[in-house]
Amino acid sequence: MTDMTRFSPLSRLSRDDKPIAIAAMFILVILIAGTCYTLVRFGNAPLLTPAYLIQQLQIGSFLGIIAAGMMLVILISQIDLSVPWTLAAGAMTATAVGGEWALPAALGVGLFVGLLNGFGVAYLRIPSMIFTLGVNAVMRGLMVAQTGGFAPQTAATDLMRYIAAERTFGVPHAIFVWLAISIGMVILLRKTTFGRAIYAIGNKEAAAYLSGVATRRVTILAFVMCSVAASLSGVLLAGYATKAYQGMGDAYVLPAIAAVVIGGTNILGGRGRYLGTVVGVILIVLLNSVLSIMEMPEAGRQIIYGLVIISMLLVYGRGEKVAS
Amino acid sequence: MTHPADDAFLSLTGISKRYGGVHALNNVDFHCGRGKVHAVLGENGAGKSTLIKIISGVVRPDQGTMMLDGQMVNFQSPSAANAAGIVCIFQELSLMPDLTVSDNISIASPPRKFGLIDAKAQRMRAEELLASIGCEDVNPLMRVRDLPLSRRQMVEIAKALGKSPKILILDEATSALTSSDVEKVYAMLARLKAEGVAILYISHRMHEIEALADNASVFRNGRHIETFAKGTRNNDEIVQLMIGREISAHFPPKPALKRPKPLLEIENLSWENRLDHVSLSVGRGEIVGLGGLDGQGQKELLLSLFGVLKRVEGDVKLDGVKQNLTSPRVAKSAGGGIALVPEDRKTEGLMLPMSIAENLVLASLDELSAGSLVDETKVSAAVADAIERLKIKIGSPEDAVSTLSGGNQQKVVIAKWLMTKPDVILLNDPTRGIDVGTKQEIYRLLRELADEGAAILFYSTDYDELIGSCDRVAIMYDGRIISELEGDAINEKYIVSASLNIAGQKSNGGAHVGH
Repeated sequence: MTDMTRFSPLSRLSRDDKPIAIAAMFILVILIAGTCYTLVRFGNAPLLTPAYLIQQLQIGSFLGIIAAGMMLVILISQIDLSVPWTLAAGAMTATAVGGEWALPAALGVGLFVGLLNGFGVAYLRIPSMIFTLGVNAVMRGLMVAQTGGFAPQTAATDLMRYIAAERTFGVPHAIFVWLAISIGMVILLRKTTFGRAIYAIGNKEAAAYLSGVATRRVTILAFVMCSVAASLSGVLLAGYATKAYQGMGDAYVLPAIAAVVIGGTNILGGRGRYLGTVVGVILIVLLNSVLSIMEMPEAGRQIIYGLVIISMLLVYGRGEKVAS
Repeated sequence: MTHPADDAFLSLTGISKRYGGVHALNNVDFHCGRGKVHAVLGENGAGKSTLIKIISGVVRPDQGTMMLDGQMVNFQSPSAANAAGIVCIFQELSLMPDLTVSDNISIASPPRKFGLIDAKAQRMRAEELLASIGCEDVNPLMRVRDLPLSRRQMVEIAKALGKSPKILILDEATSALTSSDVEKVYAMLARLKAEGVAILYISHRMHEIEALADNASVFRNGRHIETFAKGTRNNDEIVQLMIGREISAHFPPKPALKRPKPLLEIENLSWENRLDHVSLSVGRGEIVGLGGLDGQGQKELLLSLFGVLKRVEGDVKLDGVKQNLTSPRVAKSAGGGIALVPEDRKTEGLMLPMSIAENLVLASLDELSAGSLVDETKVSAAVADAIERLKIKIGSPEDAVSTLSGGNQQKVVIAKWLMTKPDVILLNDPTRGIDVGTKQEIYRLLRELADEGAAILFYSTDYDELIGSCDRVAIMYDGRIISELEGDAINEKYIVSASLNIAGQKSNGGAHVGH
């Protein structure tokens, strides 16, 4: 066991803040390493320009919105694996409906999927890992069936493009959406009875139930928020890419979970700060970008990406043992 | 080779252990010999648990040495201590609920045949071990989850015996046992003693210590206070050594109360085959005890009153108004409010990693919020009030509740419910495994709450507690209330005979006997 009396600056941080500090330091490491590479290779430092950083935040906002919802579900010791096709369904519904009903229709799809997931987990007591995986497959089937017979409209509406891709004062609107959701998340988790209930359920559902917490309602609400966030992110992504397509959400579920966990949220629920999730999202987006600037082949990128996640968790895990 | 003057089998010298700034153990010397039962006494937080953890290899001391049979030892893990013959039965049960009894008993080293687990040998081994402690009634193929707490504890003891201990440590291992089980455990300990096993015995039940221990060591605030031989100290002296202050009466006096108008009325409550037409009433200002052997439906009765059980038949009335209790959330706000202090504080009462403040306010958040926003000023005032009222010993309300001692954790559970200002307070064995001082504070608190007008229904496995603190005691047997005792009839003799359903004392509870 590790010596208890050893002191480092990190050990003074609370156990929830430590992962956030470590992840933030790692972001700096990525930026420095990437800059060294570009300086040597190309003789310039594009990574440190505002334009590059803002672009990364814009890309990050799509993942960030998904991760915000995912964090709620993880905090109550559940998981939502239906995110990929909820996202795609949101995007495809939005483009298919078009016009001013595009956004409400997409969010409606998210609401429906969230209610379904929440009902399955809270009332039918089916483990969320299985239930949401099943829902993901059903959604996929529905979307393929919908697009199989005829080709519906897949182009993004002007509003979708405006929210996702256009800028005000040089800042993409998607970042404002992420910011608004982030402020909402901080208030929700810190200041509301709902937030308290989320942490209580994640720590010990039985004790929360016996304390008179409406555990089912909170569980359903968490799943609804997660699915609505995924469908909103789908709408934004379609706006950014100017169209919706099948499989557009497949690349998001694991990074979203990874961002939440890298930010220090306990994968078993009950603990974690929202700021950590934001830091985790930025870390993942930057890592991806820097690896692609380095022209790392896909195989190598995947290996490094996986190793980073595992090693970050190892670092947190060790800290945890010393603390207990 | 000559032995040192004392022939201690296990000998600890100068042991210290700190957690953060707290000295859990401070320069402690401790010795115990073969074939002796050595009681370790002290309030919660006195350092008993840390001592046990050090001996059994769960934690390592910061300073000091440990000798076993004349050899210096330094256990790196519990399994190393096990291998040296030190076996511990912990207060927190170490059984896997979804495995069978026999799987659990042989979990560390199952009997093998051709390298594979020999299920038959394993079952026979379990049967033998259970029989050796008089538990032939436990089927080794049952899942542990399906056993009542008292049976689980006996399985835990059988599991420990299976490791053929040289030093056996019982940490509150009898706290959930019924009286007949305790007898069986006594017999087993006597047998082990004769075989030369050293036994360390931790219990808050003084009469057990009196009956069993050859020697006793008292700890207080992480220090070893005194070790003495059986019979050299009387109970009052021992209690005083433990708490370091005088204690007055053990129980607050009962008011001479005529039966008040009922507040909580239970009529013909039945649930599956565990509750059978239970009728009982509790008035304002009354403390009614639930007694009987463990697992006779007391827990189910409390849970059904709190809306936890589904498809309960019969009526529950508060102030004459029929209630439809479908969940704890409903029960919490039914009538003037119902509260339940659950059986197991670690899994049902508390979120251990969360802060004391967060745990305290969980049940009363709705009252401490404006809309859905939590009012932080109200919250911190309410938290400060609760800590003050129950005299909970804490560093900061932001500390994790897991850092508190067992007694203080239980106070947090009780405080959490008092913050909802309930009219009806249900308690499920609230003093199990907590120290004498805290127990008395809880008795006093219950009496105060009753005096303030609460109706209290209180299940306890401890007869002394029922006798000392209850105005009436209802004894349950096989899902029925078979007897209600009042006044002088609340004594050990009547409680025991009613618990065993031995006829011959007045009964006015369930009139229907038999099926």
